[in-house]
Amino acid sequence: MEDLARYLCELAKRRGASFADTRVLHRRSESVLVQDGRADKLAAYTDRGVGIRVLVGRCWGFASADSLERSRGEKCVDDAISLARASQDFVSDPAMIAEVAPTVAEDRRSPEVAAGEMPVKEKISRLLEYERLGRALGGDAVVNSIVSYSEGTREEVLANTAGTLVRTAGARAVVTCLFVASDGKILQRGTEHRGILGGPELLRQVNPEAFSVVAARKALALLKARPAPAGRFTVIFHPSITGLLVHEALGHNAEADAVWAGQSILEGRLGDSLAPETVSIYDDSTVPGAFGSYAYDSEGTPGRRRPIIEKGRLVGFLHSLETAAKFKAQPTGSGRAESYDCRPIVRMSNTFMERGTVPLEEMLRGVERGIYLLDGHWGYVFVQKGQFICHAGQARMIERGQLGDALRDVSISSMTLDTLKNIDAVGSDFEMKMPGMCGKEGQSAPTDCGGPHVRVGDVVVGGHAEE
Amino acid sequence: MSDFNYLDLCADCVRKAVGLGAEWCDVSAGTGRDISVSVEKSGIKTADAGQGDDVAIRVFVKGGMGYASVSGRDPGDIDEAVRRAVALANEASADPDFKSLPPPQPAPEVDGLFDDRIAGMGVEDVVRITVANLEAGKALEPEANLSGHVGLSVGRGALASSAGVALESRGTDIAADIEALVKRGGDTGYFYEFDFGRQLADCRLDDVAAGAVLGARRFLGARRIKSGRMALVLGPLASYGFLGGVVAAANAESIQRGRSYLCGKVDEIIASPVLTVIDNGLVPRGVRSGAHDGEGTRRRPLTVIDRGRLVSLLHNSYTAGKACTESTGHGTHSGGISPTNLRPALGARTASEILREVTEGIYLESGELRADPASGDISASIDFGFLIRNGELVHPVESAMIGGNIFDLLERLDAVSSDAREEPGVLMPTLRIQDVQIAGAE
Repeated sequence: MEDLARYLCELAKRRGASFADTRVLHRRSESVLVQDGRADKLAAYTDRGVGIRVLVGRCWGFASADSLERSRGEKCVDDAISLARASQDFVSDPAMIAEVAPTVAEDRRSPEVAAGEMPVKEKISRLLEYERLGRALGGDAVVNSIVSYSEGTREEVLANTAGTLVRTAGARAVVTCLFVASDGKILQRGTEHRGILGGPELLRQVNPEAFSVVAARKALALLKARPAPAGRFTVIFHPSITGLLVHEALGHNAEADAVWAGQSILEGRLGDSLAPETVSIYDDSTVPGAFGSYAYDSEGTPGRRRPIIEKGRLVGFLHSLETAAKFKAQPTGSGRAESYDCRPIVRMSNTFMERGTVPLEEMLRGVERGIYLLDGHWGYVFVQKGQFICHAGQARMIERGQLGDALRDVSISSMTLDTLKNIDAVGSDFEMKMPGMCGKEGQSAPTDCGGPHVRVGDVVVGGHAEE
Repeated sequence: MSDFNYLDLCADCVRKAVGLGAEWCDVSAGTGRDISVSVEKSGIKTADAGQGDDVAIRVFVKGGMGYASVSGRDPGDIDEAVRRAVALANEASADPDFKSLPPPQPAPEVDGLFDDRIAGMGVEDVVRITVANLEAGKALEPEANLSGHVGLSVGRGALASSAGVALESRGTDIAADIEALVKRGGDTGYFYEFDFGRQLADCRLDDVAAGAVLGARRFLGARRIKSGRMALVLGPLASYGFLGGVVAAANAESIQRGRSYLCGKVDEIIASPVLTVIDNGLVPRGVRSGAHDGEGTRRRPLTVIDRGRLVSLLHNSYTAGKACTESTGHGTHSGGISPTNLRPALGARTASEILREVTEGIYLESGELRADPASGDISASIDFGFLIRNGELVHPVESAMIGGNIFDLLERLDAVSSDAREEPGVLMPTLRIQDVQIAGAE
């Protein structure tokens, strides 16, 4: 793999590229899905190939092939150069690359339990046990249950014409469960998921009482919950919702490719105060064991802790080699590519708000009537408008400083800059348990996000009726 | 593209899997190439190309399913994938509900799914379309910030099974999607436009950026609104997402498993009588068309909702076997179920007439209005919407949401327009829903 990667970079240089990088990658994954007491679907995936990115004149070209044959790689070099040349005259913003010292490194991280070491039978047995204990809680009220597990290994060699040569190998594993409960009139769902940098040891680490039993309990509780009210409220975010806020509302806006392209609301705001001084937000790919962590990004830059907001002030963006050159900034190791057939683009890793000083009880005391949002599910953002949406799987009314009625799942929508300004309490706790795949430009990247509880004023809640 | 025989490859894999103990097996294999040009800051940023092959093997042993897929055409990798699929099927639990894979069902290929013109295009052609878009967009609004993609893909593949299915297909796609950002002082207008097709002649690819710019201008001046109950008019893009979600919920597996809000609703009235939705995977040149589904079942037009009544579910071979009925031809090769081209029945009045009757409401141009798959609850953002007052769009709205339950919205649906946006295979009319809860930030 190394020889091929280096050879193709040199070939690209000889054929006219001022810069080129080559990624040679081999991925394997396996998944097991247990449903309603049966091992229902078992699957395995393998892919390998090579992707070549070239900078020719003012434009990028990129080509990939699902083969490690030298001839296919050579054709990719030719194609990538032809693609870049064909586009030269229509570039409005010439491509650039940061001149940094080359990285020569190796990072091999083996899971505690190698992929082949835990037999499929044991994986099935553990998933069935998660499912059985969840179902036991709800009895006949649980009408459908799914527990799924997937593990994947990734071996990659990256080389570039500046002399970088980085070999990495690693693994990730995820386990997810879904319980659907019915009271004969309505259906409700409860989910939980866990993910690690590692392999099948995940199934030995995850305790059913804190996983499948929790998910089943959520589904059952939601049967008794009422729909959330509609309108503007003071809300308290559980750490999982804080995670969605910092990832969706802020993090995507802090990706420097969006900023440079004039697509982010943070364009021209570096140094501005965007939030109270109690708010500090980071992206950090060095958090040990966290789902979004990595040692080197897909351009060979070491991962690091990246301050985005410190004491309320916007202090930095996430950079690839290209955006670092354009902003005259340091690369932050944020250029990630999903696979060999994808160009590296600026991505987050583990994004979180730092803990503050306010206990949850004190936060609640300050709310006359509001909503406590928990169980963060998903979110999305329009960076161009600064508008984001977060979905909470559960919620509670807050009445006169006390938690009240249980509410069904509900979404909130707001403008990023308004929401950051409206944070008036940052919790003294911290949790980052939102492992997931973040989508951008058709690529997925493993990420995590979290933070403390926070209280925010004036948030629009998409409930069923005004009260 | 090479003349490699993918059907022979599939048949060979089926033979090997059966030899290793597969009771049922089907294999799909194919190749594809694509070209994509990316736009950023109103210029070309990069041009990308890819080429690849895929082989996917599905095996059943006592009804338990094992599945393995591999990229490339390396014989060793493919043999290993066959062995892995058989091994995994042996580990899966026996499933008495699995009856069989579909038998051969000859059917003529749907017209217009492959265009020699698209297949013959190179990067220069894609660049030309991109540049035409940039020029048209900038002619309208010189300071507009345009981004997006123009791309094409060409592919062919085969499917063979132990039940005797032996099919080959090929297809082309071309698409442009452009986003436009227009700024006036501190105000920002943002929207997108797209076009796609299986045939070049079905597309107006050069006009996409201009459409995005015009859309972005309309979204300048967004304002907050008050909460209240009012009419909700779904424009063509919003109605497509809304109805797509309802038809996707008619997935027979979700209903057999008891996890869909449509459980127990077959043959029941679930919507107002103005709503009829047909799923038709046989529309010539349709973007989701094909003579057969991913399992080799012949496709046919299927009325899913008939004048408000849920009359059919979407089946694959597994769910059809379990329900002792016929597959509707919505199976995917990996065992899922997927809708094809949606064709709602059109109403009697135009979209303009429907809008004109609204005293106060929201016009949702585009946005996710999807229900929770189990509860049917909706809590959605008005991503791209306008306030309607006295039949006119007054201004775009920001920080507003829609709340309710899917059945309430379907029941209060009182109009489907007689005119519709048409994309290859798909009809997207305007819908009106009365008395919907809107949460505003004013």
